[in-house]
Amino acid sequence: MADWVLKGLARGIRTTGWPARVEETPGVTPGRPGAVSRDDSPADVGVCPTHALEQSARGIAVDFGRCVHCQRCRGEGGVPWQDDFEWADWSTQSRGPLPASFRRSINVRYLDAGSCGGCMGEARLIDAPSYNLHRFGIFLTATPRDADVLLVAGPVTEAMRTPLRLTYEAMPEPRRVVVMGVCAINGGVFGQSYACVGGVDAVIPVDILVPGCPPPPLAIIHGLLLAAGRAEAASLERAP
Amino acid sequence: MTLKDFISRIAGPEVRVLQSEAGIRLESTPAAVPALAARLVEEKGCEFATLVVEHQGDDFELHYFFHGGEGNATHVVQLTTRVAVGDQVPAISDRVHAADWDEREAEDLFEIHFAGHPFLGDFVLHDTEWREGVAPLRHDFDPRQQRPNGGRGGTWVPRRVLDEPGSLVFPVGPVWGGDSEAGLWLLETPGEEIRQAHTRLFYKHRGVEKIAEGQYPESALLLAERFSGNSAFGHGLAFCQALESISGTAVPPRALLVRTALAELERLRYHAAVIAEIAGSTALAVAKAWGQELEEELLRLSGEVCGHRYLFGVVAPGGLARDLDAGGLARLRSVTAAVTERLDRFEHLLERSSSFLDRLEEMGTITPELARSYGVVGPVGRASGSSMDLRTRLPYAAYPDFTPRPALETEGDGYARLRVYFHEAREAAILVAALLDNLPEGPVRAACEPLAGAGLGWVEAPAGSAFHWLRVDEKGVIRRWRAGTPGFRNWHAFHRAVEGAAFQDFPIILASFGLSVAENDR
Amino acid sequence: MPETILALLPLALVSAWIPAPRTRGAVFAVVLIAAAVLVAAEAVPVIGSGATVEIELGSLAILGPLRIVLDPIRVFFMLVAAGVFAAGVPFVAQEARRYAPRRAAVLLTLVALLFAALLAAFASGDVVSFVFTWEIAALLIWSLVSFNHRSEHAVAAGYLTLALSEFGTIAGMAGLFLLIAGSGETSLAALGSSAAEMPQGLAVAGFLLTFYGFGMKAGVAPLNSWLPPAYSAAPRSIAPLLSGATSNLGIFAVIVIDGPLACQFPELGLLMLATGAVTALVGIVYAMLESDLKRLLAQSSVENLGITVAALGAGFTFIAFDKPLPGGIALVAGLYQMLNHSTYKTLLFLGAGAVEEATGTHELNRLGGLARRLPVLSVLFLVGVMAIAALPPFNGFVSEWLTLESMLRAVEVEPVGARIVFALSAAALALTAGLALTCFIMAFSSTFLGLPLSKAAVQPRPVSRSALVPMGVLAVACLALGVLATGVIPVLAGLVQPYTGVDVAPALVPAFFQAGAAQGDSAGLIHELTPIGAQVGKGIVPLRGLVVLHPGGTETPVVFAMSTALTFVVLAGLLATTWLIFRARGRLNVTRGDPWGGGLHRLRPEMGYTANAFASPVRVLFDALLRPVVTEHTEQQGAFTTAIRRRPSMVHVIDRLTLQPAVAVMRAVSSLLARMHRGPVTDYAAYILVAFVVVLLLGRFAL
Repeated sequence: MADWVLKGLARGIRTTGWPARVEETPGVTPGRPGAVSRDDSPADVGVCPTHALEQSARGIAVDFGRCVHCQRCRGEGGVPWQDDFEWADWSTQSRGPLPASFRRSINVRYLDAGSCGGCMGEARLIDAPSYNLHRFGIFLTATPRDADVLLVAGPVTEAMRTPLRLTYEAMPEPRRVVVMGVCAINGGVFGQSYACVGGVDAVIPVDILVPGCPPPPLAIIHGLLLAAGRAEAASLERAP
Repeated sequence: MTLKDFISRIAGPEVRVLQSEAGIRLESTPAAVPALAARLVEEKGCEFATLVVEHQGDDFELHYFFHGGEGNATHVVQLTTRVAVGDQVPAISDRVHAADWDEREAEDLFEIHFAGHPFLGDFVLHDTEWREGVAPLRHDFDPRQQRPNGGRGGTWVPRRVLDEPGSLVFPVGPVWGGDSEAGLWLLETPGEEIRQAHTRLFYKHRGVEKIAEGQYPESALLLAERFSGNSAFGHGLAFCQALESISGTAVPPRALLVRTALAELERLRYHAAVIAEIAGSTALAVAKAWGQELEEELLRLSGEVCGHRYLFGVVAPGGLARDLDAGGLARLRSVTAAVTERLDRFEHLLERSSSFLDRLEEMGTITPELARSYGVVGPVGRASGSSMDLRTRLPYAAYPDFTPRPALETEGDGYARLRVYFHEAREAAILVAALLDNLPEGPVRAACEPLAGAGLGWVEAPAGSAFHWLRVDEKGVIRRWRAGTPGFRNWHAFHRAVEGAAFQDFPIILASFGLSVAENDR
Repeated sequence: MPETILALLPLALVSAWIPAPRTRGAVFAVVLIAAAVLVAAEAVPVIGSGATVEIELGSLAILGPLRIVLDPIRVFFMLVAAGVFAAGVPFVAQEARRYAPRRAAVLLTLVALLFAALLAAFASGDVVSFVFTWEIAALLIWSLVSFNHRSEHAVAAGYLTLALSEFGTIAGMAGLFLLIAGSGETSLAALGSSAAEMPQGLAVAGFLLTFYGFGMKAGVAPLNSWLPPAYSAAPRSIAPLLSGATSNLGIFAVIVIDGPLACQFPELGLLMLATGAVTALVGIVYAMLESDLKRLLAQSSVENLGITVAALGAGFTFIAFDKPLPGGIALVAGLYQMLNHSTYKTLLFLGAGAVEEATGTHELNRLGGLARRLPVLSVLFLVGVMAIAALPPFNGFVSEWLTLESMLRAVEVEPVGARIVFALSAAALALTAGLALTCFIMAFSSTFLGLPLSKAAVQPRPVSRSALVPMGVLAVACLALGVLATGVIPVLAGLVQPYTGVDVAPALVPAFFQAGAAQGDSAGLIHELTPIGAQVGKGIVPLRGLVVLHPGGTETPVVFAMSTALTFVVLAGLLATTWLIFRARGRLNVTRGDPWGGGLHRLRPEMGYTANAFASPVRVLFDALLRPVVTEHTEQQGAFTTAIRRRPSMVHVIDRLTLQPAVAVMRAVSSLLARMHRGPVTDYAAYILVAFVVVLLLGRFAL
């Protein structure tokens, strides 16, 4: 009989020190392009297939809500990339963080509204030993009746439009909606179509946006901490 | 008798045979198709790969793809038939049962009626959202229109097969579990035991095949990677191989080997994730944590070496988007070796946990007969006695020179699948080491000029055989893209695995199949 | 007063034939309820005073004198029967309006005659009148069960009832004759008092024949397979009367005829105990598998009556082992259980009848969601469910608790074999109690909670007051009999005193709780027991709510203690406090929505949990006992499975072990005998010759 308890204890603590300590291990985040001023880079914004780069007089601005990390603007002749992961921001119609009594513990209902294996994989890893969601007092529940935060991934397919709305309506107040991934923000590479609504805000009100394709686990946790009122928001756009 | 001889033998007066290096093409009338398909599968042991339907003018062209043969004489067989819009096509799925879902999907998306199929309707387009008569994949349908029928369908009544006093249809989904994918499983049960199950997917149907029409291949490649993110490299590779076969591009040798190494890296990571999910489903929390740790290490490795944790943006038509530097290759070697060693110890520990094995043994069994009849692919098929692996059956990339040792189990239960995952993960690591040891120098990308034509690309994705078929027109724009995925094939057989299981075993069997709903729904 | 009762009954018979339906029903109900009330009024003083009245009605040749006896225990049975009939008759009158005038009149006549027959049976003092009235009651039950004679189901149920009833009566009569041979007299009292001198063989044979023969009315295994079909086939207003009143006939026979025998021979008492326990367990297991509400209630009746019989058996055994105190407690528990069963089973059957009236069905798989549509009915039914599931502070709790506590007194009995029987029976009864709770959760939830599973349940018709008002009265009675346990127990103790020889009331409800101030040594005892309700209601309520086993004297400790009154007070207090807190908080933020269905557009009825699904763990557990046989038929279309039909069929374990082999043997014997019907004339001549010779030889050697 295997002694899982002892083996588990022997493995020790594998969790990242973030947010108390800086996390710079390579591979923790895919990184994303940063804005550049005109003098620094001769990059061609046409190389971006999702129009996330915008040329202006001052340089190249980045709209993170459109970047899908295709890496075509990376490398020589491209735009310099940054390895950060605190990406979450408030939406324009957000209601702010949850009341103070929720600061130390929130319950999250994850809803798959058409996400691919990328967002599914990253969402499943937020409670892995490397990131450990529970140390923040954040827990995943199976029923929206117990949930304070609805974490939605995916471009919201037509078939998931009604289940998404019903899930949101089943949540008691106060509640917040965190959308993860570029697909959930504006439809991503799928956009609006006969099968996709093209963004969660077309169905339910959205509070927090976490861009990325997929956003790494630490970015998702950053978004959830934002909902609990324990983190600072980043911006969805960067100007040169 | 070789496959080619067999086909020349069975071709009757209604069938035209064209043979080339690309494969064997047959053209037939619709009426002769069921018999031909049945003979190919039953007598010659061919496997049904996928069904591609094209809407051309006032006709539908249906291409049934098979592959078969032995040893070095394996071929892809394409059986084409043509039928006018509004006419019926005889169904082949009562004898070639693996084609069941392909025909249902074609009926929903094209409004072709397959005569003799008892379960058409409410498959991709759910009755509650769509009226009958909407055929999105026809060429006159604009994909960007939203809610073509106002988003109002009719009532959906779950199909019931079981007639037993006091039986109920227990719904699991579409929003369920803590981190489960969206899908609906209807379990017909009199209380404790699941007698029949129905899998109702396509809650995540994003219509990628339709959206890609009219796009250039470079932007459609984004869709091919992102419709199933955890096999992104595999599907992207098959898509690029299809493009390369249309344009006749020869991929440089270095790119072939690096592509293969990255495909095996993805397989290793996918299997680590599946093993973690299996351990989690049986509530063995420490084992799940270990599996997730391994998965995370491989994701970080992928991110460090290739720039993205899920290998997005790495493969490109004609080779790779970017070469890997020496430091990256060294990291790839060392981390893969370390992970494999930990995997071995992990497997050893799991095999000594009898309470864990109790939940998996003789649970969720797919017998070899069922596997053959449903055409189950991938690790699930190899756990049920089907040795088919596209890396050895139809070798592509560097596999002709670097052949993996196949896993083969016959019990078909959850434990057999677990053993197959461990075996394939080990083999993947061995292959990565061998490939990186023999890496030639040279460019990693050849020019892939767009030509008009159609071509098929295939890979053995982590979950099984994936077939991508493309038709490109003279402007280099995609006219039709068909993604035949392993999830689509194996979800079809899933309901047979849960027959006779108790409710508590359902999540465990689900985890042991290691399938992605997003891959099925596209 | 008795004369008034005797006058009212023919009046009821006459009123059944009034042509106008509403008048007929109303007058009949009024007259019969008046008769019942008068019976009760006559009964109470007799019980209180403990006096016995014996009247001799004349004498028959050979068969001996006919006697009427009215002693406290018989009068108690009459009281219970009167209460049940008073509660059930309004619904009968209501249902009679559904029938054509002639049939309605017949129905009401039968009901009135049944009441009279029951009273007469309880009053009969000698074997002849007992058997006579018993048979009349049996025939009336048969005619009521098969009243809907157009239904094959009812006719078949009726025949089964009649066949088993006759079989039981014949066996019982044979037993009575043996006992008469042993005692020399035909009066039931004499049979009882001569039990001590009877030869053991006669006593045992007589016991076996009368217990299993007359006990079939009380659902004693193995002759109880008639109960479920009969109760479900009977008209919906008759089933309450059958289960509440007629089943007590069997208990009456067991107490009066078999009690004295079992008090002499402990093995007979142990047999009674074991039979009761097995009956109860098998009854509740089969109740869990029923998907028909009335059959479920019938099987549950088998279970409750089994508990009664078990408690009585335990009591008689203790008395046979010369332990009158535990014996008395067990007998009190048995009578209490019988009283409670009559109360809550009548309530539940009235509820089932009301459900059938409102929806037209009593199939659990077609009901559901009635709580929102018929709220009063569901609350009253819930009271019945809580009572039968033995939840405090209701009456079922008191009798179950007393039964199990009295079983624990088996430590005072010496023979190890007896202790083993007690232990096993107690374990079976405990398991029964647990299963009963589960079973009634299933019954209540499938009927009233969840989604409606058929159109009839979505829009039920309103329920008539003739069902709701008696149910309300019975519900209050359930609560009263539970909370006022300290008042009921002395009454029952007085009833069993003739059997035990001592009065057990002071041991169960000691006087020092009733007295005004605590005096002397008992002050310490009261002080210790105050936290659990010894002083509840002091100075306010004459009865105080603590039931204990206190063998006597202040040196001997209290062995067990229970207070339903305290439970009631605490519960009521908690509910009231919660209600007040919520009122005081003012405006509440309440959102109403649909139940969460996993994101499905709509939860459909076929997705609702059925009764069968709820019971399947029990089905799986007891599979070896049940031995279901499944016929399965699959339809395929190529590789597609298009339909699967599964029909499990089960033969009741008792039928498998007793009835079916018996029927097989009888068939074999009769087919052997049937050969005698075919043959040449010479064979018949030979038969006559042989018979003649045999008779001559007998005559030669016998005389």
